[in-house]
Amino acid sequence: MLGSYRLKGMVSALAVTAAFGAGPVLAQSTEVIMQDPGGGYGEALRKVMYDPFEEETGIDVITVQEARSGPRIKAQVEAGKTEWDLTFIFDQETKLLGDCCLADIDYSMMSEGAQKTLAAMPDNLKRPKGVALQVIGVGLVYNTDVYSEEEAPKSWADFWDVEAFPGKRCLPAWPRFVMEAALMADGVEKDQLYPLDMDRALAKIAEIKPHVSKWWTTSAQPPQLLLDGEADMCMAYTGSTSKLALEGAPIEVEWNQGFIYYDFFSIPKDGPNYENAMKLLSWRLEPERAAELTSNFPVALPSSVVFEAADPAVSTYWANNPANVSRAIEWSPDYWGAMSEGGTTTNEEHGQEQLNALLAQ
Amino acid sequence: MTAAPLSGTAAPRPRGAWLKSPALLLVPAVLFLAAIYVMPLIDLGRVSVAADPWWSHIARVFSVPLYWESLLRTMKIALTVACLCALFGYPTALLIQRSRGSVQAMIATAVILPYFIAILIRTYAWMVLLGRNGPINKTAIWLGIYDEPLALLFNRGSVLMGMTAVLMPLMVLSIYSSLSRLDQNLIRAALASGAGPLAVFWRVLLPLTLPGIGAGFLLVFVSALGFFITPTLLGGPGDQMFAMHITQQADSITGEGFLQALAVVLLVITLVVVGIAGRLMGFEFIWGGGKLSEVAETPAKSKRAAAGPTRRSARMLVADMAGWPILRLLGRMPADTGKWTVRILGGFVLCTLILPILVVIVISFSKASYLTFPPPGWSLQWYEKFFSDSNWMSAFWNSLGIAALSSVMAVALGATAAIGIVRSEIRYKSAVMLLLVSPMIVPPVVLGLSLYSLFLHLNLVGTYFGLAAAHAIGGIPIVIVIVAASLQAVDRQLEQSAAVHGASVLTVFRTVTLPAIAPGLAAAVFFAFLHSFDELVLSLFLSSPRMKTLPLMLWADINYQLNPVLAVVSTLEVVLVVGGIFLARPVFGRSRAAH
Repeated sequence: MLGSYRLKGMVSALAVTAAFGAGPVLAQSTEVIMQDPGGGYGEALRKVMYDPFEEETGIDVITVQEARSGPRIKAQVEAGKTEWDLTFIFDQETKLLGDCCLADIDYSMMSEGAQKTLAAMPDNLKRPKGVALQVIGVGLVYNTDVYSEEEAPKSWADFWDVEAFPGKRCLPAWPRFVMEAALMADGVEKDQLYPLDMDRALAKIAEIKPHVSKWWTTSAQPPQLLLDGEADMCMAYTGSTSKLALEGAPIEVEWNQGFIYYDFFSIPKDGPNYENAMKLLSWRLEPERAAELTSNFPVALPSSVVFEAADPAVSTYWANNPANVSRAIEWSPDYWGAMSEGGTTTNEEHGQEQLNALLAQ
Repeated sequence: MTAAPLSGTAAPRPRGAWLKSPALLLVPAVLFLAAIYVMPLIDLGRVSVAADPWWSHIARVFSVPLYWESLLRTMKIALTVACLCALFGYPTALLIQRSRGSVQAMIATAVILPYFIAILIRTYAWMVLLGRNGPINKTAIWLGIYDEPLALLFNRGSVLMGMTAVLMPLMVLSIYSSLSRLDQNLIRAALASGAGPLAVFWRVLLPLTLPGIGAGFLLVFVSALGFFITPTLLGGPGDQMFAMHITQQADSITGEGFLQALAVVLLVITLVVVGIAGRLMGFEFIWGGGKLSEVAETPAKSKRAAAGPTRRSARMLVADMAGWPILRLLGRMPADTGKWTVRILGGFVLCTLILPILVVIVISFSKASYLTFPPPGWSLQWYEKFFSDSNWMSAFWNSLGIAALSSVMAVALGATAAIGIVRSEIRYKSAVMLLLVSPMIVPPVVLGLSLYSLFLHLNLVGTYFGLAAAHAIGGIPIVIVIVAASLQAVDRQLEQSAAVHGASVLTVFRTVTLPAIAPGLAAAVFFAFLHSFDELVLSLFLSSPRMKTLPLMLWADINYQLNPVLAVVSTLEVVLVVGGIFLARPVFGRSRAAH
């Protein structure tokens, strides 16, 4: 095992060294470069999606672990050096980056199965610049050893109530979701949230701050913190935490007042392998395979065709399960992507600065 | 390190022989650094002021509290860390100096070893050590000091602790080099003249080693200013250091311009600190070497030298007025107090340097899939996972290939430049030397950001050559410092007598100079290799999908899933460094003697 890798490494080292004058080895048409979320989700994608894809098409899927690709896409496209073929970006980024940096998706190139999935999707989720391929949920997640069934927290007001629910909290170090949750905890109705009253939200966040043991930045942190006992109650992605719940870990997800949004898959302009990217996108949209993926990792595809094909034990944790959707709030990516009052930054960047300043105190 | 001037006296040269001038040897390194290091930094400055009005981005850095408060916090943390390092580093250096034989070798290795292990790995070791289920919490509970595990991570204390531990070797080595140069007879003379141990410390040891402390203090302070890895992993939201804002801002789409302004502010502050320090104590502190003899001594310098004694006597006066009464009081303590203070403090420092590494080695054999200490059982499964995972293995071979290429580049450019520096008589030699070693003080975050746009345009992002070249920027100073030190140890008369007997310049180099500096060159290769092998921050900016290095994989895993595979990688790196040091022991002995 070691020997063959050694040889491969050496040979590629020599090859690249010899070829450095000619710039990087240009992508052949036998590969596609895909942004990857890493962790358990990344492993599931490799097993269910990429390995069979490579076998059937002969196209190698090269994955890049990167939490956020938007700024890099912009830098690469503007420099005329696009590296990625397929990326996932935020809803608002399909608009911010759409004109400058993203290629149009040619839906006519999709396979028959993918067309079926697409047909059952709302129009807003299949845009020329991006297609929503994963429904992401963010909810209240708690350790069931600390809070039993009857005494479990049910809302953000409970999350903020450290007297009724003593214990350590963890929250993401972002303004999105946290500010909305703070406002709901402060009594704002869920249909009255936007535009956000950031000052009011910050005042409420200041209240919970002493009880937050960690402001997390990557999706793998909250489950780790919950299992290690560093936190008893977190705002967390439902994907990785519900996977642990399914495996029997003492963790439960509360969907009430949770957030649902979509990650959009987009093709950066002038990417090296457009056709392969379309093939992979089409592959991932086929209902049976998409359903199988979710039984390995409960992040769903927003199409009822896939929902019907999935295992009900798993789909109870899907963010787009109608039972969950009805209790969650409709999160507004448009608000966060819009320019703030100052005019030089987006609301998200402005909120981030405000939140960072509060946390640094 | 030597106190001798870097340049010997040279025979007058015939006119027109400039082609043979050793100064030409400086050209490749200077050109390389100008193209890949100075130019991108200038471009960074250009982008940061490409706004209307030009100062609007920079004004935002100083008008938004988030940023200027973080700037103040960064200075405060860096200052505290430098003080802690000096406070604990001094006894450790004394401990090395006072012990003998194999004990001394062991203590010295315990300090030097962590210095060569990647900052990322040492920080990770602290995460393990301070974790909720880590050895410190477990031991304290077992001893009954407290019942519930404490939250030791993610606060200012853990940041200071981790940064101090990471930067400690720099301070200890710097003080030790100054201690070892000290004439021991002075101490004996002072003792014989009736001074107690404390008086000896206060009047002899401290004043004479002050340059070493100063140099160590500044190196630690300046490195701490640009720190990014350790505070990110060990800190809470209240411990945001300035370099972290730069990486955060790099994640924002509308950050162009402002991002560069943040980097420029950090760079300028670093340079100002170094500039002030350099004016006060000479820029030599950066490379820890002796003064370079300039062709023309500037008048300012001689004036300062003349002003020196008066200042010193004023300082002496203060010491006498304030210091002596305290010292007399302290003098009533038992005679052995000093010895034991040194032993206890030094021993404590050695523990903080070595323990984390040992704990990580133990964890790598753990059976559990999460981090807990002591491990519930033993297994080799994580080693299996590492060696059978194609991602880890290809990252490993990538790192090896890049480090090999980078060390070749750094040594080729650095060694020729070192010969040029030592053997030539040019004006502004100090300025050239300063340029050549300055990459040591530029915060890696700033360098990485400036290189990203250059590499993007040159198609170098994610190539072996590109990463190796970027790593060589930091490798060249390391090589220059080591090779210059061993060159100074070469007896010039040997070279001259060979030349007198008719040997050509190349023959002299091949038969006299090269064998003499070979150990130094070998050490330079090793350090340049390790520098590249461990490099993370530049790689974060300059890698591509196709190419991940080992530190990048480690970084991703620390952020995404903490598991014992990280401990395996750390253990392998420790083995590599220990093996390298062991193989190179004769070399170190000689090059240290040359210092």
